[in-house]
Amino acid sequence: MSPEGKHGQDKPGAEGRDDEWSECLVAIANSGDRAAFTRLFRHFAPLIRGFALAGSRLSANLADELVQEVMIKVWQKSAAYDPARAAASTWIYTIARNSRTDLFRRLQKFDTPLAAEDVAPDSGSEEPFEQVQQRRNGQRVRELLATLPVDQAQILAKVYMEGKSHAEAAAELDLPLGTVKSRVRLALQKLQLQMAS
Amino acid sequence: MAKHHPNLDFLTAHAAGSLPLAQAACVAAHLNYCRDCQRLVDGLQEVGAALFEQGVAEPVNERLLDTVLARLDEEPPLHFENVRPAPKAPPPILQRLMRGDFADLVWKKVTRTLSISYLRTGDPSHEFALYHIRAGGRIPLHAHRGDEITLVLQGGFSDADGDYHAGDFLFRQAGEESHAPTALQSEDCICLGVLDAPLRFTSWAHRWMNPFLHLRPG
Ligand SMILES: [Zn+2]
Repeated sequence: MSPEGKHGQDKPGAEGRDDEWSECLVAIANSGDRAAFTRLFRHFAPLIRGFALAGSRLSANLADELVQEVMIKVWQKSAAYDPARAAASTWIYTIARNSRTDLFRRLQKFDTPLAAEDVAPDSGSEEPFEQVQQRRNGQRVRELLATLPVDQAQILAKVYMEGKSHAEAAAELDLPLGTVKSRVRLALQKLQLQMAS
Repeated sequence: MAKHHPNLDFLTAHAAGSLPLAQAACVAAHLNYCRDCQRLVDGLQEVGAALFEQGVAEPVNERLLDTVLARLDEEPPLHFENVRPAPKAPPPILQRLMRGDFADLVWKKVTRTLSISYLRTGDPSHEFALYHIRAGGRIPLHAHRGDEITLVLQGGFSDADGDYHAGDFLFRQAGEESHAPTALQSEDCICLGVLDAPLRFTSWAHRWMNPFLHLRPG
C-alpha cells in the first residue's frame, strides 16, 4: 500500500480538509466558480481577519480591508495556484502575509517601487520530487507544532502571526534578545528546520 | 554554489515578512543563487501557514462577503508574472530596481578602482547600493558603524577572512573590526551592500572622506 493511500485512510482530518480547499481554488481557476469561492471565503476570511488583528497593529476597519484585498487576490490569482506545490492554506497564507506587509508600508507612507510579493514570491519547486518533499515538510511542521513548549510556541506566534522582529518580540515579552533568538532557534530545531550545515 | 548564507534569524524574519525592505530584497537576491536557503525558507513559511490555519478565527460580517463578491466583477484580473531569470543575469529583484542592467546605471567614482551606484528601495532606514570594484582593486580599509550586508553579484573579492564569490551573503555587525576587501585579479567585482549606518574609513589616506559618507536611505 502506498504511503499516500495509508495516510488517506488513517487521517482524513487536516489533509482531507485541505484537499477540499485545493479543489475550491482549482474550481475558481477553471470556471470562476462563485459557490466554491464563497465556501473558501467562509473558512478563510475569519482566519485572515484573525491574522490581521494579531499583535493589534491594525484597526477593525483595516482588518476588514485586508480581508477584502486578500480574498480578491485569491480570486484573481487562482490560476497560478498549483495543488502539487503547496497546500491551499499555505498559498493563501503567503498572499495574506504579503498583503499585510504592503498595508503596513502604505500606513508608514513608504514610497517604494517594490511590492512584498516581488521580494517574497511563491517559490515552490517545479521538480516533482521536491514538491513531494515540500508537502511532507508542511505536514510534519503541522504535526510537530502541537508538541512545542508554551514559551516557544508563544515566540513563534509573535514572529509569524504578529510579524514582529526578534528585537520587538524581546521588548514586548521583556526578555533579552539572545533569549528570544535561542527560543526561536530551538523551536525551529524541533520542527526540523535547520540550516544545511 | 554560494558558501556564505544568511543566518537562520534572517531567513526566519524573511519567511515571516518582518525583515526591513532593503534587507529582505538582499535575502531574496541570495535565494536566487541558493537552493538550500530557498528550501529552508519554504519550510519556514510552512510554520507561518500552520500558525495561520490554526489561528483565532475572528468573525467576519456577512456584508463583507457581499462586498467582495460584487468586486469580483468590477476588477479585471491582474497579470502576475513569474519570471525565471537566465542563469547569469542579475536576480530579478535587482533587475526591477535597476530597470536594466549594471551598464545602464549611474556610477559615482569614489576612488580609482571603486564606483558606487545607489538604488532606491523606499526603505527609510537602509542604504541600498551597488559597489563596482575593478579587478584587483581594493576598497579602502573601513570599519562598521552599523550593520552591513554584502552580497556578491559578479566576480569575487577576498579579505583577511577568505574569498567570496557570486551568491555569497556576508553580514557584519556594528563594531566589527576594520577590513579592506580586494577584488579578485581575474575580473571586476560587483557587490550589493545594505547599510544602516555609514561606513567609516580607518586608514589615514582615506579618512578625509568620512564626513562625506552620509547614509543615503530610501
Ligand atoms: Zn544560502
